[in-house]
Amino acid sequence: MVNPLPRLPQFEYIRMDSVEKTVSFLKDKQDEARPLLGGTDLFVVMRDRRLHPKFLVDLKHLDGFKTLTFDNKKGLTVGAAVSLNQLISSKEVQKHFPVLAQAAKQVGGYQLRNRATLVGNLCNASPCGDTIGPSMIYNGKANVVGPSGERVIPLNGFFTGPGQTSLEIGEIVQSLSFPLPPKGSKGTYLSIGRNKLSDLAMAAVTVSAFPNEKSTSGFHFRIALSAVAPTVIYVKEAQELLADQPINDTTIEKAAQIARRVCKPIDDIRASKAYRREMIYTLTLRGLHEVWKSLQS
Amino acid sequence: MKMHTINININGHKESLEVSSNLTLLHMIREELALTGTKNGCEAGECGACTVMVNDEPVNSCMVLAIECDGADILTIEGLTASGELNKLQKSFMKLNAIQCGFCTPGMLLSAYALLQRNPNPTESEIKEALVGNLCRCTGYERIIQAVQDAVSE
Amino acid sequence: MGKTKKIPKLIGTSVPRVDLQEKATGEAIFTDDIQFGNKLLYARIKRSPHPHALIKSIDTSQAENYPGVKAVVTGADFAGRIGLYLKDRHIFARDRVRYVGEPVAGVAAVSEDVAERALDLIQVEYERLPAVFLPQDAIKPDAPLIHPDLGEYEVVNFIYPKPGTNISNHFKIRKGEPENSWQNCAAIVENEYYIPHIQHVPLETHVAVAKVDLSGKITLWTSSQSPFAQRDLIAKTWGMSPSDIRVISPFVGGGFGCKAGVTMEALPIVIAMKVKGHPVKLRLTREEEFYTNFVRQALLIRLKIGCDAEGNILAMENTMYWDGGASTEYGVNIARAGGYSCTGPYDIPNVKADSYCVYTNNTIGGPYRGFGMSELHTGIEQCIDELADKIQIDKVAFRKRNVVEAGDILATGMVMHPNGIKTCIDKVAGAIEWGKSSQSSDPHKKRGKGIAVMWKAPAMPPNAGSSATLKFNSDGTVFLSVGGQEIGQGSFTVAAQMAAAALGVPVEWVRISRPLDTNYSSYEWQTVASRITWTMGNAILAAAKDARDQIFKIVAEAWSENPDDLELENGVVTSKFSSRKISLKDFVITGIPKGNDQGWIGGPIIGRGKFMPTYVTGLDKETGQGKRAVVHFTTGAQGFIVEIDTQTGKLEIIKAVSAFDVGKAINPDLVKTQIEGGMMQGISSALFEQLVFKEGVLQNPSFVDYRIATTVDTPNQMECYFVEVPQDDGPYGARGVGEHPMVPTIAAIGNAIYDAVGIRLHGPPFTSEKIYFAIKERGQTGS
Repeated sequence: MVNPLPRLPQFEYIRMDSVEKTVSFLKDKQDEARPLLGGTDLFVVMRDRRLHPKFLVDLKHLDGFKTLTFDNKKGLTVGAAVSLNQLISSKEVQKHFPVLAQAAKQVGGYQLRNRATLVGNLCNASPCGDTIGPSMIYNGKANVVGPSGERVIPLNGFFTGPGQTSLEIGEIVQSLSFPLPPKGSKGTYLSIGRNKLSDLAMAAVTVSAFPNEKSTSGFHFRIALSAVAPTVIYVKEAQELLADQPINDTTIEKAAQIARRVCKPIDDIRASKAYRREMIYTLTLRGLHEVWKSLQS
Repeated sequence: MKMHTINININGHKESLEVSSNLTLLHMIREELALTGTKNGCEAGECGACTVMVNDEPVNSCMVLAIECDGADILTIEGLTASGELNKLQKSFMKLNAIQCGFCTPGMLLSAYALLQRNPNPTESEIKEALVGNLCRCTGYERIIQAVQDAVSE
Repeated sequence: MGKTKKIPKLIGTSVPRVDLQEKATGEAIFTDDIQFGNKLLYARIKRSPHPHALIKSIDTSQAENYPGVKAVVTGADFAGRIGLYLKDRHIFARDRVRYVGEPVAGVAAVSEDVAERALDLIQVEYERLPAVFLPQDAIKPDAPLIHPDLGEYEVVNFIYPKPGTNISNHFKIRKGEPENSWQNCAAIVENEYYIPHIQHVPLETHVAVAKVDLSGKITLWTSSQSPFAQRDLIAKTWGMSPSDIRVISPFVGGGFGCKAGVTMEALPIVIAMKVKGHPVKLRLTREEEFYTNFVRQALLIRLKIGCDAEGNILAMENTMYWDGGASTEYGVNIARAGGYSCTGPYDIPNVKADSYCVYTNNTIGGPYRGFGMSELHTGIEQCIDELADKIQIDKVAFRKRNVVEAGDILATGMVMHPNGIKTCIDKVAGAIEWGKSSQSSDPHKKRGKGIAVMWKAPAMPPNAGSSATLKFNSDGTVFLSVGGQEIGQGSFTVAAQMAAAALGVPVEWVRISRPLDTNYSSYEWQTVASRITWTMGNAILAAAKDARDQIFKIVAEAWSENPDDLELENGVVTSKFSSRKISLKDFVITGIPKGNDQGWIGGPIIGRGKFMPTYVTGLDKETGQGKRAVVHFTTGAQGFIVEIDTQTGKLEIIKAVSAFDVGKAINPDLVKTQIEGGMMQGISSALFEQLVFKEGVLQNPSFVDYRIATTVDTPNQMECYFVEVPQDDGPYGARGVGEHPMVPTIAAIGNAIYDAVGIRLHGPPFTSEKIYFAIKERGQTGS
């Protein structure tokens, strides 16, 4: 057993005055440098001796990184340095992307959310990260910049494994874009932790739906499961069921059972895989009923 | 290790300091400035004992680098009585015996102070949620919640 | 001691705590806040990564040469052993390590950072040994022997180690004939419970600063519940006079038992000996606090309890295996306390109990709020519930029928004193509307009610003593010097209250001499065992009486009156006979002039007092019988209304109620705050807490995965009551209550869970997962 350090190890704090210089530095230093946003995950990992970067490159001051904008046509743009509290308190986020705010509120306590950022949370790519499911369900895209220029990575393909994303060395996420959700969208994020709040999720479900003429049922549902697979996973089979079949207690029950079947939880110190599986069933069931109820009202 | 000069406004006073990159705000406050009211409970952003205000927002100072605070306004527990008067939250905590060992108290007060700044009339539920990042082992939280409610009603 | 006299108004008044403002402003000084100047060095400790291993070699040469390092020490630098009841611990490991985290080497350097880097340069070669992690495994004859030299360790005469085994204490109770009683029982319940390790989680981690001067005198600044015990233990181990060791302890940011005795405090002393003149500070990180110091012992308890058809408990068999960890210098007494308390607060005529303190290669078990009682009652109170069910008698009625009454002969042969446990039960049962079922509006949620009772005696040596000194100032104010430490419980406040009441001055006139300093403070054994209000209080009353006697003698002489006609109230001495008056400030330092300028009477007054119980007897080694096992018991009850979501297993506490017999509440609101805090700590231990060890390695050494209760985990309603059946030798009848509020909690919640969903979990924490699967197994999932 390795005892964590009593304080942060030595490193150099770096601030470049442009995105280009930042990206260039990160590419140059490779594994020796890490980008710094809120630091809430990074500092813990550094004290735990799991990472020892020589350079921490602050991104927060870069142009536009702290900006949260909403446009009726383009949707929501969340700068990389926008804190979770900033996100939660935005009226536009509350109105148009309520599940994102709902999930962000589950992260830590108020003080932590003043430092934790949405982009940081996503790039940390924890299998149980609360904001990942909602970000995916809202069709978020990561606006990435790197040594080879800019590219856009849809979040649905962004997470490649526990703690892993498709970002290459030198690449950083400048912002996230979320298109306006389809008209009539409803959603919810349900999680279960050991404490009532502020704990990491043992299991979590994001459910969203909107009226869709193209579906037999008249609705398009999306169900994303967290903490029960290496990354957040969609329950495609259940989504298809809810598109093809009329929505009632029976289909909802079936959908919840499918979710239980397809999730791939593990045993760990927080919960057993058996419990996680059962909670996925319960949370999916509850989530679907909740969303269905609000679609009808 | 390279040293950096930072300028801060702390509890109403301007200070200029030389800090290393890895010095956290918590250690800067406690060691460089000898303001020992802010406490070190876990150094991992979990217990809230190190809560201070940076630019009017409460943060776990153990999770903030001193160098990130260049140009910032910082308020610590000592700053709550900068005018020489006890803050109404402090008076309520005292009145209701919401203090036992006292170690969580500075962080708890700063979190409560931040809450009342942004929400002057919180519900009991909102108070509990605002303080969920501040652990206390002695009081069982009852008096602390009551004290915040008492301060609101003052 | 004031038992027949009228009780002063101040006693029973909720005066404000004396330490409120400094804690509210952040001015209150804790050990890590003390400024030591440029000579301060920082220590870090290299720790064993193995649960059991021989140390083959340690090479410190690279560390010694590292720039900024001032001293490196290992076990080779100090051979002494330390221990409160059993001297079984080296300060730094010598020749072998017995738990993950055991100190193997130490470094003092100019910064924590440098010290930490130097640790990485220390090379230690280990040869792993087989290890054992469960007490029931460690007592087997083929288990690895963790302390082969157990027979050579110094031990107090009331602890019985078994050399050649891993048993460091075996306490027995043999009363009546339990083996012949089972046939007379109409119902018998037999169960086994496992209560896992938990940690105290004080918000302030351990911190100690040691300085050794050139003459070898030691000064130790430390967050401590026990400055005098620490001084005396260090003196014994170092072979020094206690007068050459000075322990200074400012405010303590939570103790709960973990800051009693000597644990990490000895480490910086050994290091400081190599850098004389420099203060050396060691502060445990939160992670180290979780796994390197004291934890609460885990307990495996096997119970068999039987009653007759009317519900009278006839017999009990109780076997307790305490997981003491790698060192049981303190834990041996927990096994003893578990032993003499083995029946719980019940009158049981036939008792067989065996309480074993067992070495394992887990972290060191030590004193934790309750001192074994929470673990013990977790078993007993759930068993009692089952027994009442089996015999079909109401659980509250069953308890009231069997709880101890004044005059009952206890398991040790001691006679029970008057107590208010039945009133406590009634209060709690009434507050949760026992007998009336409670329903949730949600069809998936089930509610249940549970109740548990408890008792605890202060666990301490029979001759643990207290003393107090009252020193006057020229304005009549007083410095009260005590050794009872303020660890958050409010002891400084009730000390001032008792002194003021007993002396006859306003409470604002009494200042506590602080920080505690063994050079100047009055002796106190330790601030543990919920003993301080009682024992320190008695010493204070004695000191106040001593001061009053001197005061009245002087004034009587000056006035040519009878001292018996004098009264002292509000700082003014008055005569009932002549109505003359004189204020303390006029003479308490400078005396009273004789008439006609013919000289002076009196001088600076100092009141001194002591208290040490004189009546605690030994107990027979084979039967545990003796005239008086303990000083007294505090009894009480707790009740819960819980609501369980059967689809998730999540438990919510609708109502939590406590009632304790405190004899006399010196400061009622402070009694309530102790009960509130203790109940919450109990709830946290019932629902969330467990140190998860895997082959001796702690899997959850941080708040991320060691969860404690937060603001949102509090009960919807909490009610605290106290009952006052006076303690015959308590100050104003008072008895302690610091530990008791977390003792019955796990059992009471367990009983409420059973009432709600018909399941029994045989050990905490009652996580949602455990509850969910138990419900499912029983076939009761909501749909």
